[in-house]
Formats: sequence, C-alpha cells, structure tokens
Amino acid sequence: MSEALPERSINGRCLCGAVTVTASVTNPIVRACHCDMCRRHTSSMYMSLATVPGSETFEGPVQTYRSSDWAERGFCSVCGSTLWYGTVADGERHIAAGLFENAADAPLKLEFFADMAPEGYQLAGTHRKMTSEETVKLFAPDGGS
Amino acid sequence: MRQGSCLCGAVQYRVTAPIEHIGLCHCSMCRKHSGGLGLTAEIAPGGIDWTGDDNIQTYRSSDWAERGFCKRCGSSLFWRMTAPGPAQGMISLSAGTLDDLNGLPLTTEIYIDHKPDSYAVAGDTIKMTQAEVEAAYAYEAGDET
Repeated sequence: MSEALPERSINGRCLCGAVTVTASVTNPIVRACHCDMCRRHTSSMYMSLATVPGSETFEGPVQTYRSSDWAERGFCSVCGSTLWYGTVADGERHIAAGLFENAADAPLKLEFFADMAPEGYQLAGTHRKMTSEETVKLFAPDGGS
Repeated sequence: MRQGSCLCGAVQYRVTAPIEHIGLCHCSMCRKHSGGLGLTAEIAPGGIDWTGDDNIQTYRSSDWAERGFCKRCGSSLFWRMTAPGPAQGMISLSAGTLDDLNGLPLTTEIYIDHKPDSYAVAGDTIKMTQAEVEAAYAYEAGDET
C-alpha cells in the first residue's frame, strides 16, 4: 500500500486565458481516451488529469455541449479550448491535462478504448491499455458506454 | 475522397486534396486547444468543401494564424495560416474529425521540445524542435504558432 501524499493545488488556463481552472491533486495521472467522440472533439485522443473529485473550479466564459445522455463536454466559448469531460449524474469533471504546465507533472498511466485508436499512431510505454469492453465494464457495468 | 465532421455534426466537410499522412504538434497552444494531442493533416488552400461552416468560430491565436472550432460542441477543427504569402489559407485539419483515419500514418512530430514529460508517441517519426520548425518555415521569431 502506498503512502498517502499531501494534496496540492494546481492552476491552469485555456489558450486565450479567458478561462482559468484550479484543482487539487495528490498523485495525479494522465488518462487518454480513444473513443470516437473524444477523437472527434480533440483531434486525436482526450487526455485528462485525475484530480480530487469536486475540487475543480472554473472561472470565465465556459460553454458546455451535452454529448450523450450521461455526459457533457466543456470548452472556452472564446477560443474553443477543451476544458473538461463531465458525467452529469455525479457532477464529476475530468479536466484536460493540457490546461496545466507540463501536464501537472503527471505521468500517462492508462488508456481507455485502446482498441478504437486508429492504426496510424500509438502511445509509447507499458501503462495499462483497456479495451472497449473493459472500459465499458468499468464505467457502465449495466450496459451504456 | 475523405470526409469528416465535428462531434455534434453541425460542421461537415469533404477533403478534395489527397491526404497521405498525419502530423503532430506538441506546442502548448495545440494541447490547450485540442484537449489531447494536436494531430493534423495538412491541406492546401481551397482543399476543403465545408457544409455548415456558419457554425465555425475562429480564434486568432497568433499574428499569422487562427484556430477554428465548432461553436456548438467545441470540437477543434483546424489551424489556418492567415499571413499573406503562398501558404495563406493552408489548413492543418484536426485529424480526429475525419470519419476514417485508417491508412494515414503519423510521420512527423513538431515542437517536440514542448512535449510534456507525461507521455510519448511510439514509432519512428521525424521530430523537430521549435527552432527547427521556425528555421524551416522562416517564421518571424515568436513563441509558438
């Protein structure tokens, strides 16, 4: 069992600077999602940072798009920067790692929907790569995706 | 002929020019805008037929370029050269908006010196630093594009 690390606060911003974000992290990791929706939204894969749930505060002109019955995507209405992927039922927000300097020094540890990644590129490393089946089972054991 | 759309489908397009490979930009502007890796296909001026382009909003991110996104869903759509010259109107199209990326290998990574420590892309690509990119394109000295 690993030792508990102290919480620290991190600050980020969108491309134009109109939106700022503050969040708390302990030992953050980066997750990449290759699902079709994340790919279309981000140009590649969505890279999010694991923050302390509920600690995320955004200020500025944010706009949301309800991308499914259970999720929304936040972006800056001025420059279009991707801000978060959120699940509406529990209010959790998975913040874009790129908003923070050096991705908040967090390592990539996990890929979701790895089998949906196009054949032209892949991320290096020995981190865990979850298939679509494994990802769906993790987040929606009763069937959704 | 390849075609694509943003996440919500409000913006659609057909690429009339051939695409043979894709490239990746690690600069912080591309990371912030996309929410992932700035993965693009270079399209010559006039090489895209848009539908629903009244839903495209642009943000002037530097003296020589602008970035387009869907104002409904926030999908990153392109980086476009605005400065006068032969490259004016050239588009780096967000590759993830293509309906099908198969057959498009990743060949180049630019601004490699701006890549976070967090992750790396697998495989043998041509890697260029900011200085090498600027020398190659003879841009005015600037931080990022």
